Amino acid sequence: MDAVLADLKEWLQDRKQHLDLFDETKTARLDNPLYTLGGLVWLSWMIVIVSGVILMLWYIPTTTGAYQSIMHITYDIPLGWLARGMHKYGADMLITCITLRIYRMYFAGEYKKPGELSWMILFASLVLGMISGITGYLLIWNQRAFWAAKTVLTVPTYYDEIPLVKNTGLGHAIAYIFLGGPAVAQAAITRFYAIHLGISVLLVILAEVFFYRTRRRRLNLSLFTVALVIVFMTWLSFDRLTEMGRWANPNRTPLPILSDWYFLALYQLVKYMPPLWAGIAPALLIGYGMAVPFLDRTKETRALERPFFFVVGLLALAYFIGFTVLIMLNIAVISRDPPVIFAVTVVVLTLAFIWEMAHRRRKRLAAQQAKPAPPGRPAPGAAPAG
Amino acid sequence: MRFDRRGLLKTLTALPVIGGLLAILSPLLRYLKPNDGPYQLPLTDQDRPQGGAQVVGKTTSLQKPWDFFYFTYVQQYAQYDATGFKKANIAGVAVRLPKKVKFALPPELGGFVGYPGETDIVLFQRICPHLGCIFNFIPDWHEVTAGYGGYVPPDWERHSLMACPCHLSIYDPAFPDKPGNVISGPAPRGARYFRYEIRGEDIVVTGAEEGGIA
Repeated sequence: MDAVLADLKEWLQDRKQHLDLFDETKTARLDNPLYTLGGLVWLSWMIVIVSGVILMLWYIPTTTGAYQSIMHITYDIPLGWLARGMHKYGADMLITCITLRIYRMYFAGEYKKPGELSWMILFASLVLGMISGITGYLLIWNQRAFWAAKTVLTVPTYYDEIPLVKNTGLGHAIAYIFLGGPAVAQAAITRFYAIHLGISVLLVILAEVFFYRTRRRRLNLSLFTVALVIVFMTWLSFDRLTEMGRWANPNRTPLPILSDWYFLALYQLVKYMPPLWAGIAPALLIGYGMAVPFLDRTKETRALERPFFFVVGLLALAYFIGFTVLIMLNIAVISRDPPVIFAVTVVVLTLAFIWEMAHRRRKRLAAQQAKPAPPGRPAPGAAPAG
Repeated sequence: MRFDRRGLLKTLTALPVIGGLLAILSPLLRYLKPNDGPYQLPLTDQDRPQGGAQVVGKTTSLQKPWDFFYFTYVQQYAQYDATGFKKANIAGVAVRLPKKVKFALPPELGGFVGYPGETDIVLFQRICPHLGCIFNFIPDWHEVTAGYGGYVPPDWERHSLMACPCHLSIYDPAFPDKPGNVISGPAPRGARYFRYEIRGEDIVVTGAEEGGIA
């Protein structure tokens, strides 16, 4: 037991040494724009925090005042549009950068030793970013916000169908704790406001502790890049005034209704699945993401050298894009689609598995051929090159 | 893992410590969910919204088959904020069916039944039993096929239907023995019921099936 703990401690120490969260200095590819993503994550996060605090000066967190106050911020208050635009587009950029970085780390094999902890923290930050997103856009109290909050927090009530927790009402308790009661109303805004702010406050403290302990740089970008991002976002906020939507009406769900873009694929998936699975599937996805460094045990980092995990990543990307397109076109034939999707998934994963096996076999054969004659009787001359 | 004398003693000491921590933490969780007594966090008895009897409409506005109207049934519940009790609206729809149906008694409803006898006026909660959006009554089934995901009902269901904008579940208000049953989409069950009576011309709702987030 103690030995296991000691091992774990050593593992953590080692990974902490190689933690690369924002500055990307552990890679030698700084000329590649994909390696500015770490810096961009920090930059957009700071933009979101600063603009968020500025928005708090005018925002009223009540069911009756929220929508009006945001309307006021967007249209009446001098530079209010800028604060709101920076907050909204900064958040979009944050999620985009984290997502792109996850895909980069996945396909470039950067989650492998010693990057496991960096990968897990990045993945957790995507989850926290999405929670921050959904708690944040309820605060506008428009239709999109209201129905997103309601559907997302109805999902846990289905946990009460799981045999072991059946009679405890735990699922409903989770929903009630987040909503502050059995309905989406004032207490929900108050609690979502607290969670929305709290996530960033706690993470900023943790990040600062990290910077203090490791002396790593916060923003490893050229001044030009930073200026470019800020100018672009200012232009975006000015040119594309953030939408208001319609005031939340608990008695009417509009058709069609969409969520924010990073939930769209999940939303389409929920149409296809029984609701209990809709609650479990995201947990499985997060679990897979967290466990990837320990499932993929090879030392290869190049994508084509580990075909199975490469295909899984491609499939995830294809589903993310495909489902997003389907929901935006409002196409979902529920009796037809799920078997097709299931069949495609099974076939593709099987083929990927066969590819992986064939690849390993080929490599093994190549290694055998490359091997010199059995030890003990050293072959004269040089060993044949592999 | 070895279980020597020391390990056993450590485990035995840890148990009461963990138990004590749980005993201290459990009441603290009531800060988040104050309606329950100590040590009973997951039970939600105090959270039940209460409505009482309310007249929601008149039978005279449902003359012909497939006439319908929307209404709201207002319940009181204790919200966890400084203002205490709040109103929760449960959106509902009342429909006149072409022929009488009887509400069956599915075991999962715990004996809750919409209307005790045969009736051709049926009431449903419009809160989707899937994930809580408000579904619509669609007088013409073609609209379901066009806007709600391309579902084409079989011949015997080509009449008014109910459909949810969020995840495209479709309900049949005249489903034999189980009015409001789900006929397409991800919903695990049919529409929730009201308990109601018809007193003269008044349609009186006396209770609403529980379980949804309003």
